[in-house]
Amino acid sequence: MHLVLIGLSHKTAPVAIREKLTFPADVQPRALASLTGSHLVSEAVILSTCNRTEVYAVASDSDGGVNAVIDFLASFHELDRHELVRYLYIVTGEAVVRHLFRVVASLDSMVVGEAQILGQAKTAYDYAQSAGTTGKAFNKLFRQSFEVGKRVRTETAIGESAVSISYAAVELAKKVFDTLDGRTVLVLGAGEMSELTLKHLVANGVSGVLVANRTFERAQDIAARFNGTAVPYESFYDRIRDTDIVISSTAATEYVITKADLAPAAKHRSRPLFLIDIAVPRDIDPRTNELSDVFLYDIDDLNGVVEANLEERMAEARRAEGIIDEEVAAFYGWVESMEVVPTVAAIRAKAEVIRQMELEKALKRLDLSDKERKTVEALTCAIVNKMLHGPTARLKKLSSTKDGYMYVDTARVLYGLDDSEDKQGPGAFRNLLNLRAREIVERHTETGEGIGDCGA
Amino acid sequence: MLQVAFVAFWLAMAFYAAATVLYAYQVATKRQALTWYATFATGAGFLLHTASVGFRSSATDGTELTGANVLVLMAWALVLVYFLLEHMLKVKTYGVLLVPAALVMMLIAQVLGASRSVLADVTAEQAALLDSWRVGIHVALIAFANAGYAIGAAASLLYVVLERQLKARKTTKLFSRLPSLSQADKVAGRSALWAFPAYSAGLLLGVLRAIETDVSLWWADARVVLAGIVWVVFAAYLVLRWRHGWQGRRGAYLLLIGFAMVVALAIVARTVPVGFHVFGL
Repeated sequence: MHLVLIGLSHKTAPVAIREKLTFPADVQPRALASLTGSHLVSEAVILSTCNRTEVYAVASDSDGGVNAVIDFLASFHELDRHELVRYLYIVTGEAVVRHLFRVVASLDSMVVGEAQILGQAKTAYDYAQSAGTTGKAFNKLFRQSFEVGKRVRTETAIGESAVSISYAAVELAKKVFDTLDGRTVLVLGAGEMSELTLKHLVANGVSGVLVANRTFERAQDIAARFNGTAVPYESFYDRIRDTDIVISSTAATEYVITKADLAPAAKHRSRPLFLIDIAVPRDIDPRTNELSDVFLYDIDDLNGVVEANLEERMAEARRAEGIIDEEVAAFYGWVESMEVVPTVAAIRAKAEVIRQMELEKALKRLDLSDKERKTVEALTCAIVNKMLHGPTARLKKLSSTKDGYMYVDTARVLYGLDDSEDKQGPGAFRNLLNLRAREIVERHTETGEGIGDCGA
Repeated sequence: MLQVAFVAFWLAMAFYAAATVLYAYQVATKRQALTWYATFATGAGFLLHTASVGFRSSATDGTELTGANVLVLMAWALVLVYFLLEHMLKVKTYGVLLVPAALVMMLIAQVLGASRSVLADVTAEQAALLDSWRVGIHVALIAFANAGYAIGAAASLLYVVLERQLKARKTTKLFSRLPSLSQADKVAGRSALWAFPAYSAGLLLGVLRAIETDVSLWWADARVVLAGIVWVVFAAYLVLRWRHGWQGRRGAYLLLIGFAMVVALAIVARTVPVGFHVFGL
């Protein structure tokens, strides 16, 4: 089993390239079928988001798999292969597992800690599963990656703080008011950023929207979109008493809200007033922050909050890397159990345990001389070795083919090499045999002798 | 029985200490998985604390109302009220302040001899003064009122810290762990609102008992004077808050002053051996 990943992301390719290499939902089945149509690729998942396109594949041969995926990308999107390769990253082996876990945990995202990528990875996996291009390896790998994503989100605070100006404003408003349900916001001026902030505030529960603009029609237009009320620009001070949050982004060159003008309104309030000044030059006199229960944040302050939050996210990302180390090790524990050599050794060791047990029982019932006992022992060895030679030789050969690990898995199931969860009856006996077989494997690994040699 | 109470008392303190560490670690790291353990440790400590009070009361044929033992009861009331608060608000931040406060009260009580296996020295005159149902209810009401004031003070402290950070526009790591200004303000106001009637009723019962037992110059006792000041401060707080809009920073500072008076009263009550209100010093 060779894991292969070919992809590009915001780190390696400009949007002009990324947009050419997308795999929307409607083309995924065709793309996945085309990809696994290659005799080299047995499983495939295509993760396609606005910031990355990644093709995960299980290939029978590492180099061949890489070439097959690149050929697929170039031909499917009718791109020049040599041009395309400049923007691609190629990952193989264990690094694929680590990369996927980092991607799903949002450590490789443009905004570290963003939550969408986990859902996008799940969707990509669902497409592949529906198209029948996932098997045992990717079912295990992707399901584990979702667990990694969840662990990182619950065990670290990687996604908890706002990392955009508008969300930072919402986060700060919540820090002041606890809940924004039923709060009223007054918007002064009409800028793109103020509208975006207003949108987030409304989405978080703000119910009263007042809009004041020098052009009353423009105020009416915005108010209508947010189910609010347009107020005459000249009388906005009268409405501040009923307001909890003020967003200001006018084009005025002088302060629109001054400390002296706000003080009377602030004095008669019995609750906080949160002022968000996203205008440059500033609309609100910084000295208003000196008034009791008035909190003023301008664009630099909000940027400062975002930067502090980003730093915190980076610190949490370092903790998340520890979780990923653990999960990669766990996945490779499973992969190793799927390797052919340890599987063949386990089959031989188990057969040896059974041979020794049965031989012991038989010898107790027979009165044999040393020479006879050795002959019987050699006989049992020969039978076991001849019985196992064919299946293990074929298993070794088949394991290097496209779906090789499936034969290994089947052999492990048929020979009962993995411990049973049933701790009673046959399950307990199987586990006992496996335990003794593992002891034999360990002993023979130390001595370097082959299992089932019978001292020949 | 006293030995069992003694063991339960120390185990309760051990659980409160563990809960303190867990609450602090949970707030520092935001690891939600720890909150269950912190609540469990507090709950286990509370059950042992209750058992300790019960066994001791059983051994002494009634709850001793000495300075040290009353402190243990106040710590018990504080943890109980905190549990109710945590259940209602689902906020653990207050545990960082209140559980260690209960622990400190128990440690001081221990220093004052709360868990000793002999009965406290109470004179016949004091015993006569204590021999009334009114005294028991007086102590219980004051204990619960003080627990309410402590929660109000914790909320006010958190309000002041967060308000300063918001004004300074510097969001430290602590910032995201603190409850919102509105919530802290609401908790502070409501705690005082619930605690004040209990405090008033407790004081009234104490005064009635002093009058019916003809204690001379009862009003001149330092504890009574301080209790009167505490009452006035909290009465002023409630009037200013609900009639004159003293919410937010001003209210928080006034509540903290009121609680500082409560602490001063608790210290005086257990250290100044002058006056009629002296029990088992």
